[in-house]
Amino acid sequence: MNAIVQIPSTADAARRAAGLQPAISVNRLNKFYGGFHALRDIDFQVAQGEIVVLCGPSGSGKSSLIRCINHLERHDSGSIHVNGMELTRKASDVARVRRQLGMVFQSFNLFPHMTVLDNCTFALRRALRMPAAQAEALAREYLAKVNVANQADKYPAGLSGGQQQRVAIARALCLKPSIMLFDEPTSALDPESVGSVLRIMEELAATGITMVCVTHEMGFARRVAHRCVFMENGAIVEDAHSAEFFRNPRSDRLKGFLAQVL
Amino acid sequence: MHYDPILAWQSMPDLLAGTATTFAVLLPVLVLGLMLALPIALARLETGPRAKAAAGYIAFFRGVPSLVLLYLVYSGLPQLSIVRDTFLWTFFSNAYFCAWVGLTLTHSGYMAEIIRGGLAAVPTGVIEASTALGLTPRQTLFRLRLPMAARYVLKAYQNELLIMVKSTSAVSAITLVDLTAAANTVFDYTYDPFTPLVTAAAIYWCIVNLMRTGFTLADRKLNRHLART
Amino acid sequence: MPQMGFVEQLGIGALMTIQVAVLSYLLALAIGTVFALATLKRRLPVDIIWQTYASIFTGVPSLLVAFLFYYAGSGMIASLFSLVGLSVTVDVSPFAAAVAALGMVYGAYLADIIRSAIQNVPPGQFEAARVLLVPRPTAWLFVILPQVLRLALPAMTNMWIVVLKDTALISLIGLKEIMAYAKLASGVTKEPFIYYMLASVFFLGMTALTYVVSQRIEQWTQRGYRPVAAKERAHAL
Repeated sequence: MNAIVQIPSTADAARRAAGLQPAISVNRLNKFYGGFHALRDIDFQVAQGEIVVLCGPSGSGKSSLIRCINHLERHDSGSIHVNGMELTRKASDVARVRRQLGMVFQSFNLFPHMTVLDNCTFALRRALRMPAAQAEALAREYLAKVNVANQADKYPAGLSGGQQQRVAIARALCLKPSIMLFDEPTSALDPESVGSVLRIMEELAATGITMVCVTHEMGFARRVAHRCVFMENGAIVEDAHSAEFFRNPRSDRLKGFLAQVL
Repeated sequence: MHYDPILAWQSMPDLLAGTATTFAVLLPVLVLGLMLALPIALARLETGPRAKAAAGYIAFFRGVPSLVLLYLVYSGLPQLSIVRDTFLWTFFSNAYFCAWVGLTLTHSGYMAEIIRGGLAAVPTGVIEASTALGLTPRQTLFRLRLPMAARYVLKAYQNELLIMVKSTSAVSAITLVDLTAAANTVFDYTYDPFTPLVTAAAIYWCIVNLMRTGFTLADRKLNRHLART
Repeated sequence: MPQMGFVEQLGIGALMTIQVAVLSYLLALAIGTVFALATLKRRLPVDIIWQTYASIFTGVPSLLVAFLFYYAGSGMIASLFSLVGLSVTVDVSPFAAAVAALGMVYGAYLADIIRSAIQNVPPGQFEAARVLLVPRPTAWLFVILPQVLRLALPAMTNMWIVVLKDTALISLIGLKEIMAYAKLASGVTKEPFIYYMLASVFFLGMTALTYVVSQRIEQWTQRGYRPVAAKERAHAL
């Protein structure tokens, strides 16, 4: 059943990216939580179709960066552009940016009082005003793609963690975003479920969608990511193509981190 | 409507007398209610007919308003000849006695439920350990389970206490002149409803907040061992 | 034995009791929701207003508030409007005084219950709705409210019983509800016991009814928290 998943090579991504605006462009980004400087002068670019993994110790700012990109947190200075559109504080700009982004959370955040199917169709009907029948068809299509088609009428509490996270992925994909953000998608899962979710993410990566992933799953990063970014204390320490990143880590802190994690 | 400070000052003796009545009703109720609630709570925790009887008691006295109970005791019981014609009449003809009985029954219903909740929250491991160490059930109950339960339910007890303070205003229906009735009396002979009622409200407010402060201090002292240093 | 005429009157009184209780509770819900939403974020002016309101209305017996509204209500309203230069005379009926008093007192309690429930909805729920572009009112109505209801229902049910029973006490301001009729019947027939017992039966019955109804509502709000299939469609598990 495990088809060989072809990940487009770095060269492919680069070719596609050439001449296209970056999917995500973060410039001199700063974020404070009260007195705590969570993100320090972050410069971060993601090309169209690129798969980027953000890693680093806890508190390094990886989640903060992702959450700033879709405005779950407000950045204090610097700029964020998604597909060329700037993310300001204006509601219309925020909405336009969020339209491009799909987000998968560590704790899934499925709506517990709605069935799996309703979870997926809710945004389609309420945000996009899609007619119910069309929304349902689309939702079932994506639920099938993540292998939970037969759970459509169950409530999230009746599913395993891995199944719930896959529903969360389907729910995000239903809105057809061009960029998917993942905030530690497998950290809350038991080891058996981790595999099923990573498999879906790898299949997703093969479709050419742009992905930014905060994760501790270094095996996944090595197999799937085009680029890896190591953060510590709110700053980007190393940003390299994944082969280089794992084989020749340049900074001592990254070497230490990889030694611990691998 | 204007607040008349002079009238307020002049009516203070009456209002304070009413406050005294309020406390005269409240304090015995708190003590008796607690004493009555303990066996009921313990019965509720068992299984069998005693538990069912206890559950019925709690349901009845929490489901019936205290005013109804007061009327039942004060007006209803004297209807029965056993109350009217025997020595019991000396008790039940006294409004204070009726107030104590009626409010104690209500209070004991709520307290039984609170105590039950507190006892149920004591970890069974603690009880097992004390039995293993040779303590009798009675000792375990009074030295371990109840003190621990008390800490868990301090907030619930505070709520119940404050509610009881305010419920005492019901005794004005059975001829006792508590603070609320005193304020109404002042209104009756001065034709100013605003001043005495607002002053009485202020006195209630002070009592309630003094009690709240007391509970905050008690909570801090009792739960010192839980505080993070 | 109770005379049927008086029992009928008790029935009329019981209806009045229910009316007052329902309206008071609705008012309390409205006031509670407003305060709960307003005090979600800590803003000093709102906090001061809330703390003052809560302190007063939870620190004073509801009967006293009812007396105040009934006897001094017209005067207070007249004074308030005269501040803006209007001359207003409003007659405050016992019914209005009772509903206003109970609504304002229990609104303070409900505000705490509702706010606590909102704060206990996992923040991820709000975030998921935001990133899915669900408009705010829709998110509040379809995502947050059902979860708030689930969390707040037991406390809200308790509050309903409390309001219902407090209605009995408020009869002392002259409201013609079940307690007033029971007292009347007792005075006339000199058989107080049976009429007050009937009143007790009424309140116990309402408590039992509330329990049954709230169990049903609780089951509905807990849908999704029992790990069984919602509809019996997917048998092939």
